[in-house]
Amino acid sequence: MGILDIRNLSVSYDGKTILSDFDLSVSKGEKILIKGRSGIGKSTLFRIIMGFSVHNSGEISLDGIPVDSEHIWDIRRRVAYVSQDTDIAEGKVSDLLDEVFSFKANKDNPAIEDLESIMDELSLSSGLLNKQYMKLSGGEKQRIALVLALISGKDIFLLDEVTAELDADLKHKVVEMFFDNSQWTVLSISHDREWEDKALKVIDFSEEANNGNIRH
Amino acid sequence: METYDISLEGMLFSFLLLLIPLVISYYLGLKLTSSTLESAVRMVLQLVFVGIFLTFVFDLNNAFINITWVFVMVIVASHTVLKNAELKTRNLLPVLVLFMALTNYSMLLYFNRFILDLNNLIDARYFIPIAGMVLGNSLKANVIGMENFCNEIQRNENRYLFRLSMGAEKTEALVPYLRKSMRVALKPTIANMATIGIVFLPGMMTGQILAGASPIVAIEYQIAIMLAIYVTTMVNVFLGVLVLIHRGFDDYGMFKKELLRNP
Repeated sequence: MGILDIRNLSVSYDGKTILSDFDLSVSKGEKILIKGRSGIGKSTLFRIIMGFSVHNSGEISLDGIPVDSEHIWDIRRRVAYVSQDTDIAEGKVSDLLDEVFSFKANKDNPAIEDLESIMDELSLSSGLLNKQYMKLSGGEKQRIALVLALISGKDIFLLDEVTAELDADLKHKVVEMFFDNSQWTVLSISHDREWEDKALKVIDFSEEANNGNIRH
Repeated sequence: METYDISLEGMLFSFLLLLIPLVISYYLGLKLTSSTLESAVRMVLQLVFVGIFLTFVFDLNNAFINITWVFVMVIVASHTVLKNAELKTRNLLPVLVLFMALTNYSMLLYFNRFILDLNNLIDARYFIPIAGMVLGNSLKANVIGMENFCNEIQRNENRYLFRLSMGAEKTEALVPYLRKSMRVALKPTIANMATIGIVFLPGMMTGQILAGASPIVAIEYQIAIMLAIYVTTMVNVFLGVLVLIHRGFDDYGMFKKELLRNP
């Protein structure tokens, strides 16, 4: 059994089938790239794993724990999900960090000590902490969201277009950071070549669609 | 001093004023003619009914009737809040009524016991009008609070989902929305308190002065009632949003859009 198991997953919205009998098994430490044209249901898959969207049928389990209303809160504490929508906060960046680390689940998280070094690695100066989050550039917002995922202490990552607004150097660096840790399980939705160059397993939703596992 | 009764002729003159908004509405194409007339008719019928009813209630001055009437006021107020906040009443009304009844009864008893020092805490002459002042004034804030909460959670859903993915419990993730809704809802009441007496003369004070009370007594009452209104408004808004936090989300912590009148 893998760390993430998806069996016969079917999803439809407003009468439109997005996924049909979709299967996926991910082993611990695996790095998977998910690609395919936009609107095909890649992000929906992540949202379902996080319990933000519902599926019609099929089973999903994470480390043997079923993704259902009873366990979803534990699953959210185990999975680091970075959405492509970076509109995640108002106010100062430091307030955002303080808030996240005030959550009961994160209070005793030792990973916060890595904050400075990770920000540094992603070329974010510490002066950024005093800036208004909304005034940051798209790339800076993306990196702040990534920093929060990286210091969350979690080991399963669902990354949705997290490098889209970064320059080539940073794209490369971010990909390296995730691939360097053999314990981390990473599912990344991306159109960036940097992920494709490294990923051992690529799921092409467009091909799955042709095979009848994804309808559109 | 005695209050002048308004003669029938005087009442007709007051209705004559309605011609102005009707003419303006007609010429500007506001399409407010029928709703203006409907509201005016409703107001007259309701007030005539309440006038007769209150005469009867004040004469009886029975504690049970007084408490029941205030409860009816709470039900109507809660229903109005939900309706104006574009929410369906089915799941939310009973618990909102319960909360609003609790805060309003507590405030009324406190007001009559400690501020007015009445012997009969449930005296109709105080219990009912003060309940009306407190409820009526907190109503608008409650609508704003609950509506703002629902709007924000939908408009900025991503921020909520982000907090959940960062390990937040539902309540932890909703605190920023609660704060924002309460601030928005309480702003008008705070502004009211700050400008009272200069920008507008409140209805209660005006009423007492017209009824022959000295302006000093009227001011004492006005200060006390303003404070009571502010406290009740804040608690009511807080409880209203709390009802939404507890009833408005499914087991996955997702906002139940089916609670909205227009999902």
